[in-house]
Amino acid sequence: MALSLALVMLASLLAACGPSTQQEAAGNKQEGELINAAAFGEATIAFSFYGNYDWYTMPPWGKDLATKWIRENKKVEITAISSGGNAKQKLNTMIASDELPDVIWLERGADVERLRAADLLVPLDEYLDKYPNLKKWAGESTLNMLRSPDGKIYQFPNWYTTQPNGNAGYVVNKKIYMELGSPKLETTDDLYAYLKKVKQNYPNAVPLEVGSGAEGVEILTSAFAENRPSLFNVMQAVPMGDELTSIFTDPVFREAMVYASRLFRERLMSQDTMSQTRDQLAEKIVSGRVAVLAGSSPTEFASRGDNMLRAEDPDDGYMMVWPLRKEGLDKNKIYPGDFKQLGWNVSVITKAADNPEATFAFLDWLTGPEGQRIIFWGPEGLYWEGTDADDAPIFTEKFTTDIENRNKLMDSTINFQWNGNTVYVDTSKSKFEQTLPEEKRNWETRWQTEITWKTQYNGTEFVNLDPPGDTEEGIAAQSIADIYSETRAKILLNAKSDDDVLRLLDEAETKAQQVGYAKLLAYKTEKWQENVKKLK
Amino acid sequence: MVLLGRFKRIFEQWDIQLMVLPAIAFIFVFSYIPMYGVLMSFQDYNIFKGFLHSPWVGLKHFGMFFQAPEFWNVMRNTVVISLLKFCIGFPAPILLALMLNEVKNMVFKRVIQTVSYLPHFLSWVIVSGFVMSLLSTDNGSVNMLFERIGVIDEPINFLSMPEYFWTILVTTGIWKEIGFSSIVYLAAIAGVDPHMYEAASIDGASRFKQMFLITLPAIMPIIIIFMILAIGNLLNAGFEDILLLGASPAVREVADVLDTYVYRIGIQNSRFSYATAAGLFKAVISVAMLAGANYIARRTGNSLW
Repeated sequence: MALSLALVMLASLLAACGPSTQQEAAGNKQEGELINAAAFGEATIAFSFYGNYDWYTMPPWGKDLATKWIRENKKVEITAISSGGNAKQKLNTMIASDELPDVIWLERGADVERLRAADLLVPLDEYLDKYPNLKKWAGESTLNMLRSPDGKIYQFPNWYTTQPNGNAGYVVNKKIYMELGSPKLETTDDLYAYLKKVKQNYPNAVPLEVGSGAEGVEILTSAFAENRPSLFNVMQAVPMGDELTSIFTDPVFREAMVYASRLFRERLMSQDTMSQTRDQLAEKIVSGRVAVLAGSSPTEFASRGDNMLRAEDPDDGYMMVWPLRKEGLDKNKIYPGDFKQLGWNVSVITKAADNPEATFAFLDWLTGPEGQRIIFWGPEGLYWEGTDADDAPIFTEKFTTDIENRNKLMDSTINFQWNGNTVYVDTSKSKFEQTLPEEKRNWETRWQTEITWKTQYNGTEFVNLDPPGDTEEGIAAQSIADIYSETRAKILLNAKSDDDVLRLLDEAETKAQQVGYAKLLAYKTEKWQENVKKLK
Repeated sequence: MVLLGRFKRIFEQWDIQLMVLPAIAFIFVFSYIPMYGVLMSFQDYNIFKGFLHSPWVGLKHFGMFFQAPEFWNVMRNTVVISLLKFCIGFPAPILLALMLNEVKNMVFKRVIQTVSYLPHFLSWVIVSGFVMSLLSTDNGSVNMLFERIGVIDEPINFLSMPEYFWTILVTTGIWKEIGFSSIVYLAAIAGVDPHMYEAASIDGASRFKQMFLITLPAIMPIIIIFMILAIGNLLNAGFEDILLLGASPAVREVADVLDTYVYRIGIQNSRFSYATAAGLFKAVISVAMLAGANYIARRTGNSLW
């Protein structure tokens, strides 16, 4: 480890010896053709792209139908820079050696702010009025939230939205449910009774699967109060009035942990949730051995399982149920998951870019209707032909008959979806789904429109609450995140009674206060209140 | 004069000395040059300002490290895990080599050797995958076996229980490396003069006596050299194996060692100076232990230097 840290520094030393190389390369690129500012679509524009994720590998540009079309018709060339499976180290090395890519695709927050503070990013404000799509589709309040402390916008959002989206919730195994007589499954007491029945009758099934790291337990917390998304667990901060307070003393969290511990002790919950791998989890779900599944995105494996199970027995498969609640609460105020207007992550244009304006113009086009249609469903004439009054694509018959090739095309471009336009894509998708008979509808889209999109909380005001890692609050945040995950694990694995659970939570509170929880909560509260003001 | 004599000798065998140059260059470039990076631990290193412009802060990061709430826990885990690995993992291949030496059926011996050293070539990702599915509560072979023979009523959550972690870690490590490490001892045993065994058996020494009185003393120099090296590595409690097998927060309090801590804090949270300070602390202790072990070994006449 010391070696790799040292290598980062070594790279910076070498770069200091020859800082001119990169500029020379950039100069060569421009030779021969003069690029004016608004060249997008006319002259060739070329830039390098780096996705700051361990898992991310950009597919070769122009090798699939969609990017081939863009390359030929819009004259865009993109070179990929790979993270080599170690994104954090790669980004640090590039910063230290002054060899930044032209566009970086990364999480909002600390890294963006680090780059901005070092004056390495290009502000996008002046382009926003010139190119219409982002401004139109993202909306004013989302753009305001993207503003950096200096008041400018540096980030191009991905999957930004003005309507709820997300998949968090509960999936139920249809066959087991029907064989047990389709009992009422609405409250936490119903769930407990149901899981007991499953355990008695199906010794091989997992009554409640909560995914890896007991992620489903966070979802369950939302059942114990109204307007209480699982997001507050992840934040380790619970809003009360104008202030964020400790998660360990939060009565809702405490009640949920007592409930979860009981399920675990009575072996109604997956026992290996703390150690299982994704593959083990997928196997259980796809083979139909899970009776109830709770998760922040349970749809991915469940839709796969649904396809497999239904192929063998049309009555088998998975379905979603309306989010569970504690007896007496309003079912329309229960939010297992949340969405943020800002979406998932962002692209930033660095000062290394030769022609930032053209790069922005391209990104703006890509997030607009035409770009989205092509990057999602391929060039016109294949799976869609023409558009309707709302600019949504009119899908051809091939779209439903040639499923194999269509999926191939859509899979090949999934890693080019850098600035997904949620509202446009979701509307186009569900509009089309409505025209299909039920058995032909996509499993995920069906449950998204029926349940999950109606039960996700707007968590926009809680973005960017995390302090930078090397500050006092950041160090405290790290310790508290550790205390939190350790306490949850201990509650599930070690607690022998409800009293044990409460004692562990009290211990966690004491420990957290010792490492500076109060200071961290004050910091987060301040950031939160800033957001609230921006959103007004 | 003695020094001059030495240089003369080196000069005379220049063609042979030439061969060591690539190795020296390698160590210089990849071990010595990056070493200036440890200076980072005395700075508030900022990646944008670079090494030359980051402010110097003296021993601040060392102080923070020693006072961190995790410090004693991390130290305890590092020491315990390395000692366990040393006390069990070091003698194990010697024992295997001695036992293999007594096997007279060549085919059987070859098969055992091959089977026992193959796991060395598997990466930790694969080995930890094996271990996780073997020990899983849901259809894990070990739990199924124990349930069948009636040792337990319900599956045990091996991988999430702190009390089992050290055992699993050390056992897996020995299984993976025992065969490969025993090769060098087998080679040493093969070099023992057969006449000694013949003389001993004429004198009436049993197989056991031969093992203790001839084989072991004959390979003792090798054992001591390897022991000195192992002591220098004592604080290297492991990295990949712990990162993969001990990823669950349920076992962190027994699994977090210096290297995983440095990784978590340094790379994941970008606290470079702090992580470098922790790494440097570890390196200093390792060097001290290596020197100490060598000092003791010098009395037996088998030291490294």
